[in-house]
Amino acid sequence: MLSRKLLEEALARALSTGADYAEVYAEHTRSKYIELVSKKVDSIGDNVISGVGIRIFQGTRCVSGSASTLEPSAVLECASKVAEALSDCATVENLVLRERLFGDVHPIKIVPSDVANAEKIDYLKEACEAAYAYSGEISQATGTFQEVDHRIQIATSEGLLTQDRQIRSRIFISAVASGNGENQTGMIAPGARKGVELFEDFCPGELGRHAAAQAVTMLHAGYIEAGVMPVAIESGFGGVIFHEACGHSLEASSVALGQSQFAGKLGEQIANVKVTAIDDGTIPNGWGSINIDDEGTPAQKNVLIENGILKTYMVDKLNGRRLGMASTGSSRRQNYKYEPTSRMTNTYIAAGQDSDEEIIASMEYGLYAKEMGGGSVNPVTGEFNFAVREGYIVRNGKICEPVRGASLVGKGSEIIQKIDMVGKNVVRGQGMCGASSGSIPTDVGQPLIRVSSITVGGR
Amino acid sequence: MTYQEFKEAVIGAANARGIGEYDIYYTESSAATVEIFREEIKGYSTDKSAGVCFRCVISDRSGYAATEDLTAEQAASLVERAVENASSIESDAKAFLYPKGDCYASLATQQELPGGSQLTDSALALQRKLYQADSRVADGTQSYLMAKSEKYALYNSKGLDLEDQLSYSQCYAAAIVKDGGEMYDGDADQMGAYSDMDLDALAAEAVEDAVSTIGAQGVASGKYNVVFSEKAAAQLLMTFCSVFSAEEAQKGLSLLKDREGEKIAADCVTLVDDPRYPDSVFQRTFDGEGVAAYAKNVVENGTLLTLLHNLATAEKAGVKTTGNASKPSYSAVVGVAPFTFYLKPGEASEEELFARAGEGIYVTGLQGLHAGANAVTGDFSLAASGFLLEGGRKTAPVKGFTVADNFFTFLKKVECVGRELKLLHGRVGAPALLVQDVTVGGK
Repeated sequence: MLSRKLLEEALARALSTGADYAEVYAEHTRSKYIELVSKKVDSIGDNVISGVGIRIFQGTRCVSGSASTLEPSAVLECASKVAEALSDCATVENLVLRERLFGDVHPIKIVPSDVANAEKIDYLKEACEAAYAYSGEISQATGTFQEVDHRIQIATSEGLLTQDRQIRSRIFISAVASGNGENQTGMIAPGARKGVELFEDFCPGELGRHAAAQAVTMLHAGYIEAGVMPVAIESGFGGVIFHEACGHSLEASSVALGQSQFAGKLGEQIANVKVTAIDDGTIPNGWGSINIDDEGTPAQKNVLIENGILKTYMVDKLNGRRLGMASTGSSRRQNYKYEPTSRMTNTYIAAGQDSDEEIIASMEYGLYAKEMGGGSVNPVTGEFNFAVREGYIVRNGKICEPVRGASLVGKGSEIIQKIDMVGKNVVRGQGMCGASSGSIPTDVGQPLIRVSSITVGGR
Repeated sequence: MTYQEFKEAVIGAANARGIGEYDIYYTESSAATVEIFREEIKGYSTDKSAGVCFRCVISDRSGYAATEDLTAEQAASLVERAVENASSIESDAKAFLYPKGDCYASLATQQELPGGSQLTDSALALQRKLYQADSRVADGTQSYLMAKSEKYALYNSKGLDLEDQLSYSQCYAAAIVKDGGEMYDGDADQMGAYSDMDLDALAAEAVEDAVSTIGAQGVASGKYNVVFSEKAAAQLLMTFCSVFSAEEAQKGLSLLKDREGEKIAADCVTLVDDPRYPDSVFQRTFDGEGVAAYAKNVVENGTLLTLLHNLATAEKAGVKTTGNASKPSYSAVVGVAPFTFYLKPGEASEEELFARAGEGIYVTGLQGLHAGANAVTGDFSLAASGFLLEGGRKTAPVKGFTVADNFFTFLKKVECVGRELKLLHGRVGAPALLVQDVTVGGK
């Protein structure tokens, strides 16, 4: 994208007023989506973003700038502007960049931009047709195919020059079931760090039927009565509980500023002994996987909690300076406009020893959360909430009638002590995670787990 | 290339391709942001961005392509991509370009923005005020100041050539207090002209927001009279404002479809969309299709007067557009959205609302709106925090509970409307609302 000479010059300018570290991040990203509504292609979005983000550090102080251009004069101007915010004198040693290629463990078979709209549209149509065919109560089915081809180049004053090309694809199918003046929704949204070969992994008809079945089930469900009860949370996107209740509070961006419930607790027992939690950016073709993070550090598999003991945080370079910790390859940004910071990649609770049958059988009265919606957390207090998209009452160890409108609320540090049964089969689910450095793809995951008691909001 | 050069290149490419109907939408922004941690500058950032969206209309269908990369190569690619995309569209919604002829409002002269050092000095001052406000204010407390200017331009082949410029400052204080080994947080923000920023008030509000939650307990599950604060009410309205979009309704994604003229809310509910609401920093004269933007009542004394329309949804419904074509970013396809959307204040003071509630809960904040609320169904079940109402007065802080209802029944259950309005992010506003019989999930 940018020439080595230009990068060297930009770094030198950025360092010219006393910074001890400088970084240039250049990006050229093509993204596109096709949306089908009422069986017809309704809209197509097609965008190229292209620009540069430059950061300098002086100790723990950070100055940054961004510009939506890769023109050499504008890149240098951005570097000068960043430097102007510091006023020390500096002698910049002759900076030599050495290129490093960390390899790509995420093979792409079919680059999405090589495939015409028609093929993607046919796939979405088949999925939506299946949703309508599932039941006469389906009043709307929408399908979206989303593709991103994200090229990044990173150069730092440590001499590193590297790059990555991240291609991701995702399919969203959602359905609305209507009756008696009410609507209920169902959806499914698989994604991966793959090209259009993602279609081979999922039969479109199954996606459509899954979304439709959920909407119809919820249309005929009653509301759950609010209260405190045990909850079994299914594998896959159920892992959002760990992501919200705990994951965000383990990001150095909140830990380093003392804004986390888990600050200063390394080595301590913070979770139930049954809980081992991992953030792994290296899973081949994983939705949240990266070859390198957005500071150029190779991705790692980080064991965050092992048998309940806090092992590490997720650390980026800047917050690592405050914490005295090295980067864990966790620095991420939505694009060049955001400053990167420590974020999750693919985060999951590792497999345990309990069988799914034992977990359900152990509950006298409670909630089985088959599919979770999203959630959020306040990392300072650890108070989190998330929505149950498809839930069922468990009575006397048996899964009974479906219930709608449930949400789970609690405090992260308390809930992870209460995860007292952990199943054997880890499944991951895809999401977009929003925080200060923007919206990034992350996987959540877990086997079926039981939380011994949690507040369930209902009606 | 400059935007002017790029625009000429795109027009040239469109003409060469024989495309007669198109528009070019441009946005540009520049911002400076300062962030303070402890008593030091933690971050300082300056950001400039600009992007162009080309839309062609071929056989009544719109094809879009957008870019930030303003080069000759991209100008040609933009037109090609848009043409391909137009040819894939199947929707029977007819696409239009809007001709010249509307009378457009003019905006007040924009305020001058503070320079970098002025911004930094104010942010440091705000941080000191936060620490001074209470001895329990702890590290982790942060102050942010931002100054931003934005430009929106729309040019089309029917002769429209419009431009809006706006600039504003934003201050944000995030306070953390430590008490008895626990951390509590609170925040406050202000948006507007830099000269109107009141840092003392901002610091006091953020710290009070945190301190007031010290010792918060849970509440028992049940049905309660709930007073939603200005902020909580605005949060709900913001989450559900898509139900007033004719686009969502026509797609079967809003339960307000075909309900114009019906009573959908209590008498005391009037909802207004105003592109030039005086307190909002987002003052606009035209919508995403170049239609002159104007203020309108969407719900008046409980009756749904109109949904919000753009040209395509209005044509389909056989009505006139309400000038609500939205472009949430330069690259977005034209949708429908309000400008500044608010629930019109009533007469009641806060004390009167509490007195009328008697026993209940004063909800001051809602969390998890993107997950626990569904605009298609109207259902919400949200984590909340606030205070108990006992004997008609605000008493102990409470947290860790949920409030659940359906937005459409909620609108009908509004008993009483407060007299103060708070704007959330400059976009959505509401006064405090008293609502009876809200389900609360707790202990």
